[in-house]
Amino acid sequence: MMKKLSLKLNFADFFTYVFLTFMAFLSIFPFIWMVIGATNNTTDIAKGKASFGDQFLINVAKFFEQVDVPLIFWNSSKITIISCFFTLGIASMAGYGFEVFRSKPRERLYTIVLLTLMIPFAALMIPLFISIAKVGLINTHAAIILPGLASAFIIFYFRQSTKAFPGELRDAAKVDGLKEWQIFIYIYLPVMKSTYAAAFIIVFMASWNNYLWPLIVLQSNELKTITLVISSLASAYYPDYGVVMVGTIMATLPTLAIFFIMQRQFVQGMLGAVK
Amino acid sequence: MSNLKLSEVRKSFGSLEVIKGVDLDIESGEFVVFVGPSGCGKSTLLRMIAGLEDITVGELHIGDVQMNDVDPSKRGIAMVFQSYALYPHMTVRQNMGFALKFGGMGKADVAKQVQDAADILGLDELLDRKPATLSGGQRQRVAIGRAIVRHPDVFLFDEPLSNLDAELRVHMRVELARLHKQLATTIIYVTHDQVEAMTLADKIVVLRDGIVEQFGKPLELYDDPDNKFVAGFIGSPKMNFLNAVILKVSATSCNLKLIDFNEVSFDLPVNGDGLAVGAQVSIGIRPEHFTQNADVEFSLTVDLLEHLGGQSFIYARSDGNETLVLETQDGRNIKNGDRINVGFDKKLALLFDANDMRVR
Repeated sequence: MMKKLSLKLNFADFFTYVFLTFMAFLSIFPFIWMVIGATNNTTDIAKGKASFGDQFLINVAKFFEQVDVPLIFWNSSKITIISCFFTLGIASMAGYGFEVFRSKPRERLYTIVLLTLMIPFAALMIPLFISIAKVGLINTHAAIILPGLASAFIIFYFRQSTKAFPGELRDAAKVDGLKEWQIFIYIYLPVMKSTYAAAFIIVFMASWNNYLWPLIVLQSNELKTITLVISSLASAYYPDYGVVMVGTIMATLPTLAIFFIMQRQFVQGMLGAVK
Repeated sequence: MSNLKLSEVRKSFGSLEVIKGVDLDIESGEFVVFVGPSGCGKSTLLRMIAGLEDITVGELHIGDVQMNDVDPSKRGIAMVFQSYALYPHMTVRQNMGFALKFGGMGKADVAKQVQDAADILGLDELLDRKPATLSGGQRQRVAIGRAIVRHPDVFLFDEPLSNLDAELRVHMRVELARLHKQLATTIIYVTHDQVEAMTLADKIVVLRDGIVEQFGKPLELYDDPDNKFVAGFIGSPKMNFLNAVILKVSATSCNLKLIDFNEVSFDLPVNGDGLAVGAQVSIGIRPEHFTQNADVEFSLTVDLLEHLGGQSFIYARSDGNETLVLETQDGRNIKNGDRINVGFDKKLALLFDANDMRVR
């Protein structure tokens, strides 16, 4: 009886592993394709060559020739770091406030914040563009940073995570003489660091990969971000796909690095910061 | 060390009043325990004393100072929480010294205070560890240490032992009693465990629905409760209540008949002036007060037995289907279904009127 049961489980496990392997392959395929593409020239890529070639260094050299790499990395990094810093700051304070100071008007306000999640960005683009133009921020990095600072999703994420922040810690801190802002800085922030790490990765990826909005508000080449530059390479009259793939790899590296460095905190943050 | 006074204190959350006019005078150095069922307001009252909840109406004095609007950190109190509330990102040493450091005390003084508290509680080897690596009992000791370093006038404990296992709870109870002797500080302690209340307290406050039902020494409450609620709440297993009806009353005695117990009638030496003939009353008898060959006797059928070794609890039923709990030292030969003759001495019976108030 026991033997049959364990065989059954192994059979189920087998299918689970087959399914997971297939899904993993599906996820990783674009990355493999990207790396293979970076080592081949445009003709081979167009033919669908699926093996490594010998064009990698040539493609890299071409990429550095055609693109001011330090400038686009500086632009993207500046926008991403400022966005992360302020978005995490604003969203964590808002999430903490919504959870800790409860009242009926505040709950209504929170509902409105959540409702904004249901409006697609495409519907917001034109009014947002008009607003940004009216304050004279078109063709500035501030035009990219400002609209994303109070992110409804990150506020929601921090509020949900704050539910796991023990109320007694706040009480203990009050008895120890801390004011509310000091509780936030000295207790909440270090206790919730894995939540911050997870939110940082989410905001970092969203900001680093942001394409549509920068495309609309940025006009000068010297202000453009890495996604815009790679896209312009790909949409040239005779696109060099090997170079595009090198650019894509370079654009992916910071995100990968951040994820691998903060992997543990990210997973912990997703599971709940306070144990 | 300070006395503490609550005068006509009330607390409302919106239209819901949870503390309904509490007057208490706690003397300096006393160990006072708040007990009561869940939702009675004992933790709310403690949090009002700590300054974590506002006082809606009434006054709180610690020493001679009115504390209603004083910041929690300036009330001269220290609090130990049910979940210990240790800062998880700090070591034991940092946890214990945090309030002092934050209050502006010099590094050397903080270190000395922390070391002194660690010596008292035997925390020396734990000082550089984080709370997550400590056992429940160790965390509890750290939480107490964090309170001690502040040298408060009043210690507040909010169900501090409820997260510990039974053995550790007994151990910590003894430690707390020893600590109180050593520090001689006023302690207010909230619990729903009446064994903790009886063993630790100099005085017990029994609360129900935001009202103080009785305030007194533990054995006073046990032997001489003011009402049926206190009589039933203090003592484990709880007091038995036998329904009775008044047959005759006078200024010095009251003749009554037990309902559901073979209609046994007897006299109780109480002032029956406030009682009416024919009124329904209750007779309270503690489980350990049932004996054989007593003043008032009746027969019961044994339903269930619990043998604890040194004593046994008998759950028995009268002919009128009233269930009683009896405690006996020699119950090993009794079996389920046995008929037993038991009774009680009249001087140990407590009389409660139809409004559940004690008649003395």
